[in-house]
Amino acid sequence: MPRLDRLERVTDLLLVLLDTPRPLSLREIADRVPGYPDAHGARRQAFERDKRLLRDEGVPVLVVPIGGEEQLGYRVEPDAYYLPDLGLEPEEQAALNLAVAGVHVGEPIGRDALGKLGAGGESAIRTTTAPLVDLSSVDGLPALPVLFDAIRHRAFVEFDYRGEPRQVDPAGLRFRTGHWYLVGFDRDRDEARTFRVDRVDGMPALDEPGSARVPPGFDIDSTFGRDPWQFGAGEEVEVDVLVDGAEAGRVVAQLGGQAVVERRDEGAVVVRLSVTDVDGLILWVLELLDHAEILGPEPVRAAMVERLVASGARDGSAG
Amino acid sequence: MTAGGDTAARLRRLLAILAWLAQVGEAPIEDVAGRFDLTPEALVTELEMAACCGVPPYTPDQLMEIVVTDTSVSTRVGTALARPRRLSPSEGFALAASARALLAVPGSADSGALSAALDKLDRALGGEEIGVELDAPEWLPLVREAVGSGGDLSISYYSASTDRVTEREIAPRRLFASDGHWYVDAWCSRAGDLRRFRVDRIRTAEVVELAGKSQPAGGVDPAGETGRVEGDGSAADAPPGAGPSGFEPFVPGPEATRVRLSVDPAMAWLVESLPATGPALPAGGRVEIEVFVGGDAWLERLLLRLGPDARVLDPPEHRSLAADAATRILRRYRDGDGRK
Repeated sequence: MPRLDRLERVTDLLLVLLDTPRPLSLREIADRVPGYPDAHGARRQAFERDKRLLRDEGVPVLVVPIGGEEQLGYRVEPDAYYLPDLGLEPEEQAALNLAVAGVHVGEPIGRDALGKLGAGGESAIRTTTAPLVDLSSVDGLPALPVLFDAIRHRAFVEFDYRGEPRQVDPAGLRFRTGHWYLVGFDRDRDEARTFRVDRVDGMPALDEPGSARVPPGFDIDSTFGRDPWQFGAGEEVEVDVLVDGAEAGRVVAQLGGQAVVERRDEGAVVVRLSVTDVDGLILWVLELLDHAEILGPEPVRAAMVERLVASGARDGSAG
Repeated sequence: MTAGGDTAARLRRLLAILAWLAQVGEAPIEDVAGRFDLTPEALVTELEMAACCGVPPYTPDQLMEIVVTDTSVSTRVGTALARPRRLSPSEGFALAASARALLAVPGSADSGALSAALDKLDRALGGEEIGVELDAPEWLPLVREAVGSGGDLSISYYSASTDRVTEREIAPRRLFASDGHWYVDAWCSRAGDLRRFRVDRIRTAEVVELAGKSQPAGGVDPAGETGRVEGDGSAADAPPGAGPSGFEPFVPGPEATRVRLSVDPAMAWLVESLPATGPALPAGGRVEIEVFVGGDAWLERLLLRLGPDARVLDPPEHRSLAADAATRILRRYRDGDGRK
């Protein structure tokens, strides 16, 4: 008898497991799926390898205790295997293909997803002249899909964050300025918090679906804040910053035109910021080197001067 | 042909082919083979094998409904392995994030179909709580239009490493967002070569007609050979490596210098989060780390952000850089020239 292609055996196994209304023992499976060895040990070994392959491909193979000498039965629940019909129109599917082609989130995950939706094949997702967007890839951030899963299932999560264990009710994920952030409610600190996903150590541990207790009225966007000067929990203070023409375009693109309270000569602007974290503000203004100046209020301006002196600035006021 | 990885990849491809065929019904063998990177012979072998799969007693109603003729292949909607499968968390995330990112591109016209697709995905997968924000620099729409139409631009460009503004004519070729910033690869009249520009550093831009520009053949991307951002030369501003979709890893240009820093361990993450640095090595309660620097201004920013505690070890001429920059900035405050 010619040796059977393993793909054929695995395909048959998948069909049999999907078709059966009750869990099948290994002996029953071997009766229905051609190609398994007769010897018990070799058969078990071959089946376990096939089962692992299916699971690695995302097939939810259930193992259920059954009576009789074999004790374990196997099946695949169709509801857990099939996607509910999305009802995508052809132009919606085409738009999704373009999105996967134009956005880099760690290949080939997006392409595999399209394959499952019935829109696979390389030529379907070819790079176009449309802008490409690189979202720090998922392969570099193994915690990211896990946190996504936690949010979908409203599951409480625990993870280590820069060396400290954290207990969080996750609410949302945000991508900004090249980084992914988790926004949620920190149970130990009893406060809304934002975490940078690339600083989560190892894999987050998920609790049961539905175990998250995000407080009613929790607002992801106001928690996330717009900017580094809003990460702190200090009292809110309005700070005016003067930005030269050299950097004004970039700053206004970042803040939006509504932040501009005054326009001056040579393209300079004064922007007004609501600051709850003065250190965060100072770091941001330092990025602009001598193209920016904190105008006031005085205590914030003084904090900047202090920082500059600490960094070794020689006082040139006499000159 | 019996290796697990190979069988897994074949199974994944077979299921993708069946799922696609179920959508279109029937398709020419040549088309299907081309689409899924198979020879027509290999495609037919694979599908004939699958057509024999089924559930005992292998009566026709228990076999997979796959029909292979001399010229075409077809399957029926509802065939067991042709229905869409559930997505893994990574796959669901990738789809939801991709769609949101494309919708976040400023000026994305005609996104109705994508929004509708996203709504349907969200209902099935629950991706509502993902948000993607992209920069919206002032000149992005004009640059985007130039890339699309093959037009040229005259720009004034702020170079962050030299802290100067220069005038140049560019022929934009490719636009992309990476690391939270928009970049354009363009042929540059001033350099006589392809260069990479950060769109938010363009101060003014207008459409012009460039004479005698050398057109790079076939849309190749020599700028990617160095991955260097014009006027930046810093690892921090270069887009990260990304592989198949065409983002190149940062490779320091010939003029980049290595700078060795000593920082407090608590701040080491800030340096390590920059690409193209060496490993952080512990040294007497502190951490030593090496970064590639293409311009003084970039190093000044890094040192000022790291704070008074960070020191340059090598090269010695950079040791006073942070203090000099702090002095320059402090002058603004002492003169009080911003306040009236």
